Amino acid sequence: MMNMLLAFENLNPMNLEVLKASLNILWQGLLAIFIVIGLIIVAVTVTTDIIAWSKRYKDSHPDFSIKNIFKKK
Amino acid sequence: MDYLIEGLEVLTPGQVVMWLIGGLLIFLAIKKDMEPALLLPMGFGAILVNLPLSPVIAESGIIKSLFQVGIEASEAMPLLLFIGIGAMIDFGPLLSNPKLFILGGAAQLGIFITIILAAIIGFPIEDAASIGIIGAADGPTAIMVSQVLKSNYTAAIIVVAYSYMALVPIVQPAVVKLCTTKKERMIKMRYTSNQVTKLTRILFPIIVTVIAGLIAPESLSLVGMLMFGNLIRECGVLQSLSETAQTTFSNIITLLLGITIAFQMQADAFLRLETLVIMALGLFAFVFDTIGGVFCAKLMNLFTKNKINPIIGAAGISAFPMAARVAEKMGIQEDPSNHLLMHAVGVNVSGQIASAIVGGLIIGLVL
Repeated sequence: MMNMLLAFENLNPMNLEVLKASLNILWQGLLAIFIVIGLIIVAVTVTTDIIAWSKRYKDSHPDFSIKNIFKKK
Repeated sequence: MDYLIEGLEVLTPGQVVMWLIGGLLIFLAIKKDMEPALLLPMGFGAILVNLPLSPVIAESGIIKSLFQVGIEASEAMPLLLFIGIGAMIDFGPLLSNPKLFILGGAAQLGIFITIILAAIIGFPIEDAASIGIIGAADGPTAIMVSQVLKSNYTAAIIVVAYSYMALVPIVQPAVVKLCTTKKERMIKMRYTSNQVTKLTRILFPIIVTVIAGLIAPESLSLVGMLMFGNLIRECGVLQSLSETAQTTFSNIITLLLGITIAFQMQADAFLRLETLVIMALGLFAFVFDTIGGVFCAKLMNLFTKNKINPIIGAAGISAFPMAARVAEKMGIQEDPSNHLLMHAVGVNVSGQIASAIVGGLIIGLVL
C-alpha cells in the first residue's frame, strides 16, 4: 500500500506535520460546529418562546399596548 | 495549407481523453439525469477548453476571464448561487423542531475523517482539506474552499462532488441499511406542524448570520449569502425578488458556473493519478457523513423519549432536497405508513447551513 502511494509523485504519505494539522482540524472543527449549532438551537428556542409568550400575553390582555402603559402613568 | 492542420499538430492524447470525459459527463447529464444543470455545462466546457489552441482559455479568452472574475478573484459565482439556494429553502420544518440541527452537524463527520485520511495518504493540508469538503455534498462550498485554499485539484474535487451528489440515492440507502436494524428503520415519527410565526422565520436568518459571524467569521460569506437569500424569501415584501433569486438568478449563475469551472479541466491539470484517489476519498466522505448522521440519531435516542428514526440522520448531508427524498423513500419501504419527509427536510436544511459553516471553519483553520 505504502509503495503504491509513493508511486504518486505529488504525494508524501505519513507526513506527521500534515497529519497533526488534520487532527487539529478534526477536533477544533467539530467543537466549533457544535458550539455554533448549540447557540443557534438556544437562540431559536428562546426567540420562539418569547414570541409565544408575548402572543399569549396580548391575547389575555386585549387592552395592552405600549401606549396604554404611558397613559396609565 | 499548413494552417488547416495547425490544431491537429499540437493535439495531445490527454486532450482526447478529456473529450471522452466531457462526453461522459454530457451522457450522465442527459441520459442518467445526474445533476444535468452542472454536469452538462462542465462536460461541454471540458471539450471546449481541451481543443488545441482554444482561444477561450487564452489570456483574454471568455472562459479564462469568467474564471478569473467570477471565481478566482472573489469566489463571486458560488457565493451568489447561495443567495438563490437560500431563497429556495423553507426552514419551517427545522424551526418547528430545532434539535434536528444536531443531526445536520453530525452529518459533517465525513468531511473531517476524509481530511485525516487524505493527509495520511500524503496530500498537503490545503489539498486534504479541499478533498474533505467533498463531504459537504454542496457544490458552491466545495468550489469556494478549494479555490480559497488554492488546491491543485479543484476541478477533480468539483466533478467528484457533483457526481457523488447525484449518486446519493444509490450510496446512502446501502450505508443506512448497514448501520441500522429493521426495527430502528421502522421507528415512527409523528410530525406536529408547530405553527412557526413569521417573526421567527424573519429572525432566523439574522440570528444564524450573527452567531456564525461571531464564532466562525470565515464562514460568513457563505452563510451570509445563504441567509440573505432566505431573508428575501421570508420577509414577505420582496416576492418578485424572491422568485427571481429562486429561478432566473440561480439558473444564470448555475449556467455560468458549470462552463466556467471547466477552465480547471484542462488535460494537464486534470489527468493525474491523484484524481482517482480523490474519487475514492469522495465516496469515503459521503459514506462517513451518512454514518455520522445515522449514529448521532441513535445516540440521541438513548436520551430522548420521542425516538428518532435514524434514517433521517442520513439526510444531514446538504444535498438538498435529494437526501430528504431518499430518507422518505427508505422510510416508506420499511413501513408504508411512516412518512419521514418533513423531519428529513428539517435535517437536510440544517445540513445545508452546517456544511457552509464547516466550509468556513476549515478555511480559517487551514490558512
